Amino acid sequence: MSRPPRAQKHRQAALVGIYALPFSKKIGMTERHGGALAILGALDDAGLRVADVDGMYRYVWEGTTEMEMARILGVENLRMFGEVDYGGGAGCPAVGHAALAIENGLADVVLVWRSRNRSSGGRPWASQLQATGQDQFERPYGLVRPVDGMALHTRYWMHKYGWAPEVLGRVAMTQREHARRNPAAMMQKPMSMDDYLSARMIADPLRLFDCCLETDGALALVLTSAERAADLDVTPTYVTGFALGSGPQVYGMTFYHGKELGVTPARYVAPELWRNTGLRPQDMDVVQFYDAFSPQIPISFEEYGFCGEGEAPAYMAEGKNPPYNTSGGGLSEAYVHGFNLLLEGVRQVRGTSTSQVENVRHSLVTSGNVVPTGAIVFSKVPW
Amino acid sequence: MSEPGLDPSTAFPVPVPDPDTQSYWDGCNRGELLVQRCGSCDTWLWQPRPICSKCQTPEPVWTRVSGEGFVASWTVLRPPSLPAFAAKLPYVVLLVELDEGVRLLGYLVDDAGRLLTTDGKAEGIRIGVRVALRFHDQAGTILPSWTVSS
Repeated sequence: MSRPPRAQKHRQAALVGIYALPFSKKIGMTERHGGALAILGALDDAGLRVADVDGMYRYVWEGTTEMEMARILGVENLRMFGEVDYGGGAGCPAVGHAALAIENGLADVVLVWRSRNRSSGGRPWASQLQATGQDQFERPYGLVRPVDGMALHTRYWMHKYGWAPEVLGRVAMTQREHARRNPAAMMQKPMSMDDYLSARMIADPLRLFDCCLETDGALALVLTSAERAADLDVTPTYVTGFALGSGPQVYGMTFYHGKELGVTPARYVAPELWRNTGLRPQDMDVVQFYDAFSPQIPISFEEYGFCGEGEAPAYMAEGKNPPYNTSGGGLSEAYVHGFNLLLEGVRQVRGTSTSQVENVRHSLVTSGNVVPTGAIVFSKVPW
Repeated sequence: MSEPGLDPSTAFPVPVPDPDTQSYWDGCNRGELLVQRCGSCDTWLWQPRPICSKCQTPEPVWTRVSGEGFVASWTVLRPPSLPAFAAKLPYVVLLVELDEGVRLLGYLVDDAGRLLTTDGKAEGIRIGVRVALRFHDQAGTILPSWTVSS
């Protein structure tokens, strides 16, 4: 990269509060209700109050706007607010925007949250019959589920890089083992390679356990400045840096109309992330890669530069990779558009994961690689 | 959640053309596959758009193509799906790279354009296989689809 490193002349942002309501198939409350409870839990975790809050960012796909949430909570004035689109791509960018507001002194205590009650609304893809925009070239063929687009990418990666099905099976099994150590995880049954391989196909070559869960949940994060964090009774998790990226000719999940098949927006995030943080992949002690589907794990190790293109299966089989998705991730803990990955990234820095990695200095979290996306590095020590 | 006039228990998703895509669907209804090509730099463009994304010349030219190409990727759709597709599962959707270089999606159909209930094995579907354009009539919506080239 020819661009110079990002100047670290601003104050630093730190995560000081996290909270998640229990994951379930049926949360039994509205999304605004769950979101408000998660936010109050995260503020309590930080030792902060609603009166301290002056910023909020959310996913566009979050049904409750930041204004409605501010109204419910009784926030006096939001000095910074906003939203990030693109489904599972939004998590790290939303937290990045929150950090940016703090770094620039535009807000002091900023919330980000994600609340889902999908049990009350059914599968989101099941009722959209008028196909507009890019969807008019996809949905009439029955390509209505996220797994359909991912299957087309995965087929190509398997073909190009020679992935055996077991490459993906080991991802699903690894994350299941992490989930089994995490009492909050939805999936607690052991999974063998036979279990993985004999499960039904959903969209070939993707099998049932290649797919994330369908979960209700509500989670929140609180960020503040490093100076203010020092006055709180918490172990701060510092935001060392983050990056966003779209890449060219990007369409939601179906970027396969672009110039080079198989190259995702994350390939464009990675160099910016390493430039912005001044760190390298080898500096990451633990990673939480966005995992709506298992193939996103090996391809993310490649895209973020942990190994070379096409090398992920061997790299992972030899155990050279840092531990990944240590809560069980979207495949086995819960699927809430990646927000649980952000909480787990913080826990690894705090030392409170149920699959805790020793001496974590830097903890990487990424958002959905096949959509406009971002990534963020959390650290034990400040700049 | 569903739209008036379309019953999610029976209806297929339907394309809703807009002024930038209408010509494509009009072409399908005539049995012609149209793709935009820049009148200035000759770049083939997909999906439809009002200007060329390479040289920014307005109004790329709708141009008839043969639809000849190869399978760039493919999948087999299996349950769960929308009820309208249930009786057709499993079937194959192809990502076809046309000889012009753009990639379109379509069904795997037989020579007469009928959707095949298959996992693609009998037809020998794999990445790289040559395919030829057909049109599939889906409850009145004419959808570009492909069959294995003979």
